[in-house]
Amino acid sequence: MGKYIVKRVLQFIPVFLGVTLILFALQNIVPGDPIKLIGGDKALSPEVELQLRVRYHLVQTDEDGNAILDENGDPVQTSLVDRYLYYMNGLLHGDLGNSYQRKLPVTEIFAQKYPYTVKLAACAIVLEAIMGIGAGIISAVKRYSFWDILVTLTTSILVAVPAFWLGMLLQLFFGVILKDATGGAISMPISGAGGSSSQYQDWMHYVLPTITLASVSTAYAARIMRSQLLDVMNQDYIRTAKAKGLSNRAIIVKHALKNALIPVVTYIGVDFGGMLSGAILTETVFNWPGIGYEVYRAISMRDWPIVMGGVTLIVVVVMVINLLVDISYAFLDPRIRLGGPSDKA
Amino acid sequence: MQETDSQSQEQATATKVASAPAKSRTLWGDAFKRLRKNKLAVIGVCWIIIVVVVALTADLWAKPWLGSPTASDSTTMAETSLLAPCAEHPFGTDALGRDILVRVIYGARVSLSVGIMATAISTLIGLVMGALAGFYGGIWDTIIMRCADIFLAFPYVLFVVAMIAVIGRGLQNVFIAIGILGWPSIARVFRSAILTVKENDYVDAARAMGASDARIVVRHIFPNSVASIVVYATMNIGGAILTESALSFLGMGVIPPTPSWGSMIQDGQQYLLTAPWMMIMPGLAILSTVLAFTLLGDGLRDALDVKMKDA
Amino acid sequence: MKKNKNYVDLKDQPVPEGQHLLEVDDLKMYFHTEDGVVRAVDGVSYTLDRGETLGVVGESGSGKSVTAMTIMGLISMPPGKIEGGDVRYRGRSILEMTEEEMQHIRGNDIAMIFQDPMTSLNPVYKIGRQVGEGLRLHRGYSKQEALKRATELLDLVGIPEPEKRVNEYPHQFSGGMRQRVMIAMALACDPDILIADEPTTALDVTIQAQIIELMQEMQEKNGNAIIMITHDLGVVADMADKIMVMYAGRPVEFGTAEEIFYESRHPYTWGLIRSIPEQAIEEKKPLTPIHGNPPSLMNLPEGCVFSPRCPYATDKCRKQRPERVVTESGHYSACHYSSDPEFLKNAPETSRTRKDSKKGGEA
Repeated sequence: MGKYIVKRVLQFIPVFLGVTLILFALQNIVPGDPIKLIGGDKALSPEVELQLRVRYHLVQTDEDGNAILDENGDPVQTSLVDRYLYYMNGLLHGDLGNSYQRKLPVTEIFAQKYPYTVKLAACAIVLEAIMGIGAGIISAVKRYSFWDILVTLTTSILVAVPAFWLGMLLQLFFGVILKDATGGAISMPISGAGGSSSQYQDWMHYVLPTITLASVSTAYAARIMRSQLLDVMNQDYIRTAKAKGLSNRAIIVKHALKNALIPVVTYIGVDFGGMLSGAILTETVFNWPGIGYEVYRAISMRDWPIVMGGVTLIVVVVMVINLLVDISYAFLDPRIRLGGPSDKA
Repeated sequence: MQETDSQSQEQATATKVASAPAKSRTLWGDAFKRLRKNKLAVIGVCWIIIVVVVALTADLWAKPWLGSPTASDSTTMAETSLLAPCAEHPFGTDALGRDILVRVIYGARVSLSVGIMATAISTLIGLVMGALAGFYGGIWDTIIMRCADIFLAFPYVLFVVAMIAVIGRGLQNVFIAIGILGWPSIARVFRSAILTVKENDYVDAARAMGASDARIVVRHIFPNSVASIVVYATMNIGGAILTESALSFLGMGVIPPTPSWGSMIQDGQQYLLTAPWMMIMPGLAILSTVLAFTLLGDGLRDALDVKMKDA
Repeated sequence: MKKNKNYVDLKDQPVPEGQHLLEVDDLKMYFHTEDGVVRAVDGVSYTLDRGETLGVVGESGSGKSVTAMTIMGLISMPPGKIEGGDVRYRGRSILEMTEEEMQHIRGNDIAMIFQDPMTSLNPVYKIGRQVGEGLRLHRGYSKQEALKRATELLDLVGIPEPEKRVNEYPHQFSGGMRQRVMIAMALACDPDILIADEPTTALDVTIQAQIIELMQEMQEKNGNAIIMITHDLGVVADMADKIMVMYAGRPVEFGTAEEIFYESRHPYTWGLIRSIPEQAIEEKKPLTPIHGNPPSLMNLPEGCVFSPRCPYATDKCRKQRPERVVTESGHYSACHYSSDPEFLKNAPETSRTRKDSKKGGEA
């Protein structure tokens, strides 16, 4: 097991280098000059612009920190390789550079934004695990019943719903219709992370974004759970358990669930990695100050340090989560943990 | 030999008649029969046909009836903007006074074309990649599947957004971006189908008879995995429509004033409190169309008896 | 399910006077499917006592497994439906029992082992837990007691290093070892009847013999009855007391092993005997397969179900269903010509000569 983990961690390195290289290449391909965009609608004076380029290490400088000019009086661009090495050097020292737009260190921005993404992802994954697994079990155990049909229909619809639209519907219902109907007694905040001036308690801001973020994955989790459990119930070892005299309930709880849960847990784990990468759409709808929206904005503003840092962070998080999922998979399934011939059907 | 079955329907029928006189069905005929029995799938197919016909014929009746979907005539704007659904405007109007119904109808063109074109691109790339990985194995397999893993590990929406940032907005770029990023799942399906089929004796037999690799893939392996590819592609269309709507919602999809369901929802966001129909109607259009493709996909999966790993 | 203290094990009660341990009486189990009614079991009858072994022989799809599953109450209904007949265990009708009563019977009074030991054990639990599960359920053993007994049982069925093996998972066992585990599991609660559904089909030939030997050994120790289901008449040749030959959901011949091998009256049984390889080798005769395929159970031929494949079929066979011709000893055969001595001369010579030599030996 230890060997396996080391091997996996070593595999991170090429992926990591590949991703950062691609991102660096992107900076040169993508149209739009990030420094010019800093000024917004106003054009920057050439002096300020040159100063900024020096600060962000985009042009070569002499020992005094002045830009080196070529014979035409234009500044000499730093080569891509130089900039990459400079960036990686900073990265090794925990420095992700400074944002072009916000004039703050990227690490500081993330320290402020990332907790919101993590908290929202945690809430959503809990909801997904409970509702998805629960609904899937009920649906499979009471196959063809009213509940099964209800779960099947609901999940089919949820899978087809654009999450951002669902979020807006929730805002409309809880924030507007319910508020009007109850005279403001019962309602939910329609935007996230309202701050101290809000009339709502802190946790209430999480309700609607959590439902929105969890909706689609919950539907998938329920569908996987259902099909897995039905599949497992047809296995020979379930017949063996029945022949031993176990009641149906005991068969499901003791023999079927553990087997059926393995793929579901894997799915939910991988999904958690996805949520930790930020949920652009949910964050956009609810004005949630998370990292997904931050990176998305940075892409449109060509704020490369944030894009670089954000994607680097996301890739690391996703890889670590996937590794944890694989390890937990091995713990759930003795065939993988102990090796030997796998006879998984 | 078995592989001839899929090549020649007649022969297949003939062999099956010989072995089981009571049933003279083929795989596809049998599947079609089962699909017809599946009410939900039939509803899905009907809805897809309606949407396609409405979108294609919109110029003939929708424009004369409801006005242009892209009009922005400032003289009439004040009177007709933000009207609630009424007899004249069944879905209401938007802030620029355009009829929402006609915009939803024209938006179907964007969604359907993105759904189909993006899926076509994904399927094409996926088949080639899957064939290389599954058939040659070894280093090909490792490289391609690692790439697929990276693609799948990435936050998908962010990936598409970044891609659009590189190649720019616009309808063609949208389906190129979605299409290129969608190949890994098809590649995985085709790869595992190849690995399964490769084990079969008739592939060895074909090889022993001197068939080339390309011929084996095209004539022997592809027909045997076509069922699972059809199912995945059908479901992929719905997924591509959803992704397009998300892109347009973020303002990175088709360029206004071309109506797209996603951008209509974005337009409606600021009028959520006063004119909720602006976002509800296009949302329902997305929901129903994607649902139709999902139901059809589910139906095909059951009818063709395709085993799927998830959902 | 906790063991109910007031519950009296049926196997502790005596078999009522004049009855057998297990009586299957004209049992009919049909499946109602979308495409029509499948007559999976159509009029099966036999009796069984403690210490006896019944061999049920037939091709796949002949209804032998469904019969066993019906006795165990393992057929889901619907689509299955009992269309007639009865199954009595120690005088009590199993078909009339509630699900809860059946749970007491399963594993405790009647146990079953299955064809494929590779898939019949739960992959995520240790062997010890799976073997001891029945004891905890039916006997109220504690975890430790069950584990201890499971270790003894593994030892009993010939698994080396049982103390170590109880803590291993199924995938760490070979096929033959897993089938031994299945036998240990089935015998844990000392059942009256052990139903073995093709227990050796998925195993190597050398291991097949070991498993059968083990079952016989355990039978000698425990005195349980065995119902041995197989498609291979050779497998039951040496171990069965009685043999029932099934074809297309119906028993075509039933009798003692002697009667089936040496006085068989049904052409289908003859066909089965002729296709035992050992027999053919010994007698230096070519193996003769039975031509054609069994009929669809949804669409049975008119007349005798075996007539389309029977080399001796006459017009009468094709038109009229044969009645069972029963001899005094209880040997029955469903063939129009069962009592025609001329016809019986068609029986495989090999078995008749064998019978003579054996009888000569005994005399």
